[in-house]
Order: sequence, then structure tokens, then C-alpha cells
Amino acid sequence: MTAPVPVPRSHRRPRPRAAHIAPLDGLRGLAVLAVLLFHAGHLDGGFLGVDLFFVLSGFLITGLLLGEAGARGRIGLAAFWGRRARRLLPALGVVGVAALLLTWAFGSPSVLLFALQDAPWVAAQAVNWHFVTEQIGYWNASGTRVFAHLWSIAVEWQFYLVWPVVVALVGRGRGGHRRVAVLAGAGALVSLALMLSFGDAVDTTRAYEGTDTRAFALLLGALVACAPVRGLLARVPKGVADGMCAALACGIGAAWVLTDGQNAPGLFRGGLFVHSAACALLIGLLAQAPDGWAGRLAGSTVPRWFGELSYGLYLWHWPVYVLLPRTVSGLDGWGRTAVAIAVSVLAAWVTKVLVEDPVRFRARWAAGRRGAVALVAAAAVAAGVWAAVPQPRPGAGSVDVERLNAS
Amino acid sequence: MDKHIAAHYAQDSHQPPRRLSRRRAGAVALLAVTAVAGAALTGCGSGDGKDGGDAKTAAAQNGKKVLWVGDSIAGAEAPPLGAALKASGVEFKDASSTGGGTVVEGDKMAAPLAADTWKNLAKDIGSFHPDVIAYQITTYDWGTAEQQKASYEKLAKTAQDAGAELVIVSAPPFKVDDFYKKYEGAIASAPKAAKEVADRSGGKVRFLDASALWGTDAGKAQRSSDGVHSCQQGSAAFAKWFTEQLGTAYGFAPAAAEKWATGSWTGDDRYGKLDCR
Repeated sequence: MTAPVPVPRSHRRPRPRAAHIAPLDGLRGLAVLAVLLFHAGHLDGGFLGVDLFFVLSGFLITGLLLGEAGARGRIGLAAFWGRRARRLLPALGVVGVAALLLTWAFGSPSVLLFALQDAPWVAAQAVNWHFVTEQIGYWNASGTRVFAHLWSIAVEWQFYLVWPVVVALVGRGRGGHRRVAVLAGAGALVSLALMLSFGDAVDTTRAYEGTDTRAFALLLGALVACAPVRGLLARVPKGVADGMCAALACGIGAAWVLTDGQNAPGLFRGGLFVHSAACALLIGLLAQAPDGWAGRLAGSTVPRWFGELSYGLYLWHWPVYVLLPRTVSGLDGWGRTAVAIAVSVLAAWVTKVLVEDPVRFRARWAAGRRGAVALVAAAAVAAGVWAAVPQPRPGAGSVDVERLNAS
Repeated sequence: MDKHIAAHYAQDSHQPPRRLSRRRAGAVALLAVTAVAGAALTGCGSGDGKDGGDAKTAAAQNGKKVLWVGDSIAGAEAPPLGAALKASGVEFKDASSTGGGTVVEGDKMAAPLAADTWKNLAKDIGSFHPDVIAYQITTYDWGTAEQQKASYEKLAKTAQDAGAELVIVSAPPFKVDDFYKKYEGAIASAPKAAKEVADRSGGKVRFLDASALWGTDAGKAQRSSDGVHSCQQGSAAFAKWFTEQLGTAYGFAPAAAEKWATGSWTGDDRYGKLDCR
């Protein structure tokens, strides 16, 4: 790579668009399905889908940033954050407000109280740290919090705030990719060390939801997006790459099926790191050779369709799971899961069509200064709804004094 | 920060101070996101808001002060226990710990938990000056019977040095799942070790067997859906029973349940986390 040459503004090339890699869309779909099944109690290792999301994010974001640095000689950080905000915040805001109102209508007082407490942390993209202080994992309290799943989007946002600055500082010019790769690799190892140190605690929320302890997944994805690693992977013969993809996919799938929940032995002692590394290698190989059989399978219609809906599905499914009655028209178990997933898919599709796609592709007002004004206005509306929801009174009538005195 | 704001609002507001402080924290958080600022981490660290801060406002009619030590099972019992004792004119401080609270310097899992407990106990003794230290045997009292006895004796000595009496109460029966399975031996030996220490103390240490209240079957011991902690009704039952035991031992009259059993403590966050009502 040659050093960037300053060019007149009018002659600058447009911001490069990332090549679309179909199997990666499919991986996103498979990841969200794993999470949906895990949360429904049908796939004990399905929570590892979140880890795959992290690796994908690290890979894609770093690829975009390095591409921009290479093409333009600089990274427009404000523009990057603006694009991330347009991609993620509209749906998050709509689902957040809707979930709050639905919880007010259908949730128990405790669930509403927690929703009101958690919502500002969700808005601040810091709810993972709030859950760490609340020890949500220790209490196994996700079922009482409609925003419990949003810890992972908070982790991603915090990564989006820091990592682009790092790439902007060290990723430009000759050797930029190598420097970013070294930092990503070193950062991943530091993150692993942090997970090992926190993973022994009785309450594993800190290890599971900490941004620092989960950063290795994002950073391993970032590592695979750097040219030195891409170059290594490009040298793997196509047939071998295809076989490796198949083996990695089988291994990852086996982990999703066989891992015994979030308390599985070894999970915080390197297990998650190994999973992240396998995901990163799979993603790197699929990006180099997307047309092998593993790539064609991952990139086939159904996984890609779920991949395209994945963000909305991720946002919607947990409030739906929490707020749906334990039995729906006499259905429980797989029947209830089917209803919950169907409702989530419908809500995600509506959100994509009415909110995500218009803001991303058609709403010219969503960019620049008008976009910032729109963001502030939307935040004000959300804050107004939050403030207007009446204070619930959980625990009322929970103690029978007569029974107490009779015992 | 929470306690500070809560204290400020408590002076002139009819709303629960805890809730207001959370709303204030929430407003700060919302402002943060509208600015899309990088200060996302600055708001973390809001505390549990334990009952300890309330102790100073209690009506200290008979001068007794009870320091309550234990794990999260004790934590779920703390809100009504504090209410019952305060209604009986006894000051109360909840020093229970979620995911810890053991005093047993036992195996490699329990030892670091115990180190935290001992550190916090020293601070609480220094600041609260309890007359009674009440320790509920925890689910983490993991160690040999000898380690358990040595740790309970150390606790008795610590209480004596602080001018306090020690009451050790056994844990309620709880569901022994995969997590607890390998510690079943230690869980069974802990109350026996505590009773032995009390029997040898010449009356300085009291041991209360809570099976008189709970029985020995976890399935019938008013546990929440997690099989370990108690919801409001079970916690109130414990508070009533334990306050009566303390009243008998230390000469105060327990307040009637009508005075404390349906108070604001029933809305404590802990019961929400346990999916109680």
C-alpha cells in the first residue's frame, strides 16, 4: 500500500462502499435464529450467536474504516458515527418506546418499573454496565426486564465510539493495516485476560456483559479484516478453504447445540475466545471464497432473509418473549415459541419497511444537521413518553398479614 | 451519587427518594445520548441502595442496633427484617451481600468472598457500632467443618471485641442445583459447626435453628421460583420469627406485623428480580 497523496477536495473519490458478501448476511441470520431459540429455551448454546454478531461487526466496521482510509487518506469520524446512528438508532428508538408502552399495558408492575429504570441506560448505550451493577446474571433476572437483551448493542456502540478513532490514528498510510492488526490482536489478548480474571466470580454478569471482556470478539473480527490476515487467507487453496469453512461451521454449530448455557464450564476460561476465533476465521475464509458450498449454504435465501431482518428481530424478540403470556391460546413450549417468533418477525418486518429502510435509503432529512435535529427531537419524544408513564407500585398486596400471624 | 440525590429529595418530596434518584440518573443518561457523546460510561456505578442508609433515620427507642450479615438469601429477608426491627425500636443495618457474604475462610471459591466480608464487616462495625451481629449462614460457607468452626469462632471473637453479641441463624432449605451440588457436604456441615461453636461459647454466641420456621423441605419453605430466595410473604415470615427470637434474647417487644408487614419495603427491587409480585 502506498502513502496517501493529498488530492483537491473536488477530485476526491467517493467513499468506498463495502462489497456485499452474501454468506455474511446469512451468518447474521443464523446468529439471530440461534439467539431467538436460546431465549425461548430450545438451544442452550444459542447465546453464542451474539458472539458471532460481535465478530461480524468488528470485521465489517474495520473493513469499511480501512477501506476509507486507503481510498481517501483519512477517516471521516463524524460521518461514520452519523451513518451508524442512522442505521441503528431509528429502530432502537421506535422499538424502545413501543416496548415501554406495551410493558405499561401488559407487563407486571415490577417489569414496568425495571423498564423505566433501564430505558435511560439503553438510550445512553450503556445498559450493559447498568446490568453489571444490578447483577442481572446472578439473579437470573432477564425475564423481568424487557431491555435485558440490549446489553449487546450497548457493547457495540461503545466499540463504535472508540475503535474508529484508533483506526483513524494508526490505520492510515504505509503499514496502516499491519498496525491495526497488531493492535487488534494485542487488544483481543488483553480482553481475554480480563475475561479470565472476572470469569471466576459467582456473578458472571461482569465477565459476560462487560465491554472490555467481550471486546476480543469484535477485535478478532477486526483482525481478520486487515490486509496481512486477508493476504494469508487468500493463499489458502479454494478447496481447502471450503473444507475449513465446513469444519468451522460444524464446530460452531456443535458449540451452539452442546454448550450447556451461560454457566457452561470453560466458557469464561477461554471457551468464548475460541468460539470468537473460530467465527473470525470462518468469516475471513468466507469473505475470500464466498462461492464454496459452505458459502452458498450460508448465503442461501432463508438465512439471508433472516439476516436482513436480524436487527429488528434482535430488538423485538425479547420484549415479545417477556410480555407474551406463558401460555398463548393454550400453547406453551414450541407452540408458544412459534407464536413469539412469528410476532417478532412481523414486528421486525414492519419496522424494517417503515423505519429502517426509509431512514437509511430515502429520508434525505436524516443526514447532516437536519439529521441531528431529528435525533434530538426523537430523543425528546422518547423522554416524554418515558416521563409520562405512571410510576408502578410493585409488591402491593404481596403480604397476607393474617397468614403471617397464623404461622 | 444516588444516596446524595435521594437525601436531597427526601426533604421535600412525597415520592420515594430512590425512584427520583433513578429518574434523575435517567435524565442525565438521555441527555448523554442526544449529544451522542463518548461519556457513556460515566453514569455507571449506581449502587444497590441497601437499607443501611436508612438505619440512621430509625427511631432508636431501645438503643439496640442489629447488623445483618449474610448472602443474597439474607438480602431478600432484609427489607421486612429492617421494617420489623425499626417498628420495634431497634436500629438495623443490612450488610448482606449479593453473591457473597460468607465469613468462612474455606476453599478457593469461598476464601475471596470471605475476605470481602471481613473487610466490610470491619467497616460496618466501625461506622454502625452494633450491639448484635446477626449472621445467617450463607450458601457459600464452603470449607471443611474445621474451617467453618474456625471462621465462626473468629466471628464470635470479632463481635466480642466490638462489644457486640453474636447470633448465628441457619440458612433456609433451598434447592440444591448443579451449582450447589458439589458443596452439599459443606452446606450440611455449616449449621452443625455453628451450633458447636455456640455450645462451647458459654452463652456468648447464640445459634438459632431456622428449621423451626422453614422446616427442612425446600419445596415447602416459601421459596421464590428460583428455589433459593424468598418473596415478600416468606421474607415477612422470617422477619416476624427472627424479630421475636431477638426480642426474647435481648429484651424488647416485637412490633405487631400490622405495623410493618405491608410497608413500602414490599416494592423492593430484589423481589422484582426474583419475579415475585
